[in-house]
Amino acid sequence: MQKIPKFIQALLIVFGIYFGFILVFDVILDHLIPNSLLNMYMFFIVAGVLAVYTFTEEGTRELLAPIKSLVEDPSKVGTRKIVFVVVPILVAGYVFMQLLPSVEAPLELRSIHPAPPSTVKIYGKRYDLRTLTNPYRELEHEDPEEFSDMVEAGADVYVRNCHFCHGDKLDGQGPYAAGLNPVPLNFQDVGTIAQLQESFLFWRIATGGPGLPDEAAPWISSMPVWEEFLTEEEIWQVILYLYDYTGHEPRSFEE
Amino acid sequence: MITLTPLKFSRKLPLLLPLFGAIVLCLSVVPHVAFAAEGDVENGEAVYLKRCVGCHGIDGDGLGPGYDRLVPPPRDFTSGMFKIMSTAFDGYVPQDQDIYEMIRLGMPGTAMPGWADVLSEQDMWDLVAYLKMFPGYDEETPGPVVDYGEQVAISAESIEIGKTLFLEDDRCSECHGDEGKGDAIKRLLGDNGERTWPRNLTKPWTFLHSNDPKDVFTRISVGIPGTQMPSFADPASKLQLSIEERWHVANYVNSLAKTVEVVSAENTVVKSHRLDGEIADDPEDAAWQEATPTTFFLVPQLIAKTRHFTPSNDTITARSLYNDDEIAVLLKWDDRTLSLPGDEDAEKIADSSIYEDQVAIQLPVNPTKGAAKPYFVLGDKERPVSLWRWRSGTTTEPQSASVEIATGPQTPVEPSNQTVQANGRYESGTWTVLFRQKLNADHDSALTFAEGEFIPMAFAVWDGSNSETETKHTLTTWYWMLPESSSTALPFIGAILALLIVIGLEMLWLRAGARKREAEA
Ligand code: HEC
Ligand code: HEC
Ligand code: HEC
Repeated sequence: MQKIPKFIQALLIVFGIYFGFILVFDVILDHLIPNSLLNMYMFFIVAGVLAVYTFTEEGTRELLAPIKSLVEDPSKVGTRKIVFVVVPILVAGYVFMQLLPSVEAPLELRSIHPAPPSTVKIYGKRYDLRTLTNPYRELEHEDPEEFSDMVEAGADVYVRNCHFCHGDKLDGQGPYAAGLNPVPLNFQDVGTIAQLQESFLFWRIATGGPGLPDEAAPWISSMPVWEEFLTEEEIWQVILYLYDYTGHEPRSFEE
Repeated sequence: MITLTPLKFSRKLPLLLPLFGAIVLCLSVVPHVAFAAEGDVENGEAVYLKRCVGCHGIDGDGLGPGYDRLVPPPRDFTSGMFKIMSTAFDGYVPQDQDIYEMIRLGMPGTAMPGWADVLSEQDMWDLVAYLKMFPGYDEETPGPVVDYGEQVAISAESIEIGKTLFLEDDRCSECHGDEGKGDAIKRLLGDNGERTWPRNLTKPWTFLHSNDPKDVFTRISVGIPGTQMPSFADPASKLQLSIEERWHVANYVNSLAKTVEVVSAENTVVKSHRLDGEIADDPEDAAWQEATPTTFFLVPQLIAKTRHFTPSNDTITARSLYNDDEIAVLLKWDDRTLSLPGDEDAEKIADSSIYEDQVAIQLPVNPTKGAAKPYFVLGDKERPVSLWRWRSGTTTEPQSASVEIATGPQTPVEPSNQTVQANGRYESGTWTVLFRQKLNADHDSALTFAEGEFIPMAFAVWDGSNSETETKHTLTTWYWMLPESSSTALPFIGAILALLIVIGLEMLWLRAGARKREAEA
């Protein structure tokens, strides 16, 4: 098989990835990531491809050969003329499109699960999140009846306070979810509470959106500060309920 | 009707056999009907205990722990009342299929979710069988289904006839308003004494079922049991409608659905268009008509003390224009009531207490740096927000507008030394309020304003007839406003420059190539 020239290889890789992104994120996942972010990714990909291909001097030469011959090889006059007319027009067109005033909202990236503080002050007490455990968790084995009462109490807390946003089915699709951004999290999903320790949930529920560090954009989170509405006991109960209803297991410290 | 005597039957038997085959096939393809009769009550109970007790209660009495925070409240199944029913108006037992559909699809605009994504069809049929035990409907057969006659297709004429019937003798408009927005002229209660509001028929996403003409036909024919929405098939009613007339009205109701000023999730930016001349006061003015509307969901204030669980408004639409002197924002939202404290009629419709209607635009006081914004519920100590607030007035006080500074949901707002102008108008169930703010009139202008730069913006609405005041209101999260740039030359200049630069580079390169060839030769 004939070897594909390095230049063409590089182009194929860059465009392949670009159209792959467009296909997956724009077409299949319906504009999951904004254009500005896509451009940023593409910048790194082009830089990466260049770095790989120009790693050796010979590689650089091979990569640039077709461009060089375009300018220097007298037999390529026809192609050269076409390329030299098309390239400036493409560049001018691109600049024109970029300078058209953008109406795409500014990009806001936030960390969904930021690192928790090691200790936190709630209800006037200091809790060490590295060792904090759910005081009712052991009832699961020791006193199943008492445990199911606790879960039931958690269910009450949930319908009275949480379902408006997180949904009756704990799927993040409560009656008001569509009006919130960021969206209330989906507890059925394997990417939320199934990944977390109960102490993390305790911190998140007690301190809500405003308790988040800056990288998680506390100013836009609509998650209320439940310390103001619920007792410590109720928070531990609702945590039991979240795991019981979804069938997920909390992550333990050993893992 | 075809009646077949046994003799004829046997003679036609060979012909009928394939027909029987087809019926049997249908029954097996559509197993709902078959299962419905014999849904497994035991499994139904198990599913009910896991999924439904939180709202409907262990005893099916609607007294689950959440009942006092939900409007409408969860259904009390022991009452035997079902709102969405296709059994003709004089029956009260719903068809199994009706109950099944409500479990499957849920009831939009209420807390009742659809269950199709977590429960199997069998589970849902088992639930139907279980629910029917509460009022003892397992022992009763439902009456006949509504007579649909022949459906009248949607057409301009049919819609026109429907409109006439809708307004005739105030048949529907008495409750649903002249334009169908549910702007009530009387106070309506449900059977359990809970407050109900007539549906805003221009918002089909708030319908318990759907605005498909057939569903609307069923609602008009049966009414909505447990509420004051009556049956128009009932011969005892002075306002009774024939089957054909009901189709016309259904087609009209279907045509009322809003197509502009509806929420589209991608659209998070209020675009402020630049005008060269004056900004008109009249929302019907051509410039306002051309301004792009952007609509947002309103969410009840469930976040800070004191919370609000029973909102009545659900969307707000914003438009904006600006010129060299000022920026104007036009807000529009459907509100069923003009809340006028001191007015006897307004007080009759309102909840126990009545307040002014209000709307507020929230903006950061200081320009935002990086991604950081003020807390979306009334800002915070570090990053205060300013509120442009408009109040609808009372019988003794006129409308008013003011600018306030807020530093968080729990701290009282402070008056600002700025002013804003605002003027509101209420018509057929819709408030239209126009805000105007002078640009750079005072040094600490509330709006740091630059063409082409995004400004965070949020909104809050109070419906005074729904006891909304202070922290009890609806709000939006942060969105954006963008004063669109007026200059259109920049992209052209940029493109020409880019063209020249690239051609220049090409020339240099060609020259270099030519020189190299010469040298080689
Ligand atoms: C007003 C809407 C709202 C209400 C009510 C609400 N939440 Fe949230 N919640 C959110 C939003 C939005 C997020 C995602 C943003 C964030 O992480 O702060 C969230 C995040 C969470 C998280 C973090 C999950 C994770 O994977 O990090 C937990 C746990 C949580 N909520 C539990 C609860 C509980 C328990 C209640 C009821 C006591 C509740 N929420 C009520 C809006 C709400
Ligand atoms: C978060 C609360 C909530 C949960 C959970 C819930 N419902 Fe409902 N349900 C409601 C409310 C509220 C209504 C009343 C809506 C109305 O009156 O407009 C309702 C009404 C109903 C109706 C009456 C339909 C009609 O035509 O009147 C049925 C049937 C029903 N629910 C079945 C169920 C079943 C079965 C489940 C469990 C799988 C369930 N619900 C779970 C809140 C809930
Ligand atoms: C006496 C007041 C009253 C009159 C008259 C009335 N309605 Fe209603 N209507 C209501 C109320 C109240 C509701 C909401 C019931 C509830 O709370 O679910 C409603 C709901 C509806 C719905 C919503 C159905 C759904 O799926 O949610 C439709 C459609 C409707 N009405 C159409 C009509 C039409 C058409 C007429 C005239 C032929 C009419 N109504 C006359 C009070 C009325």
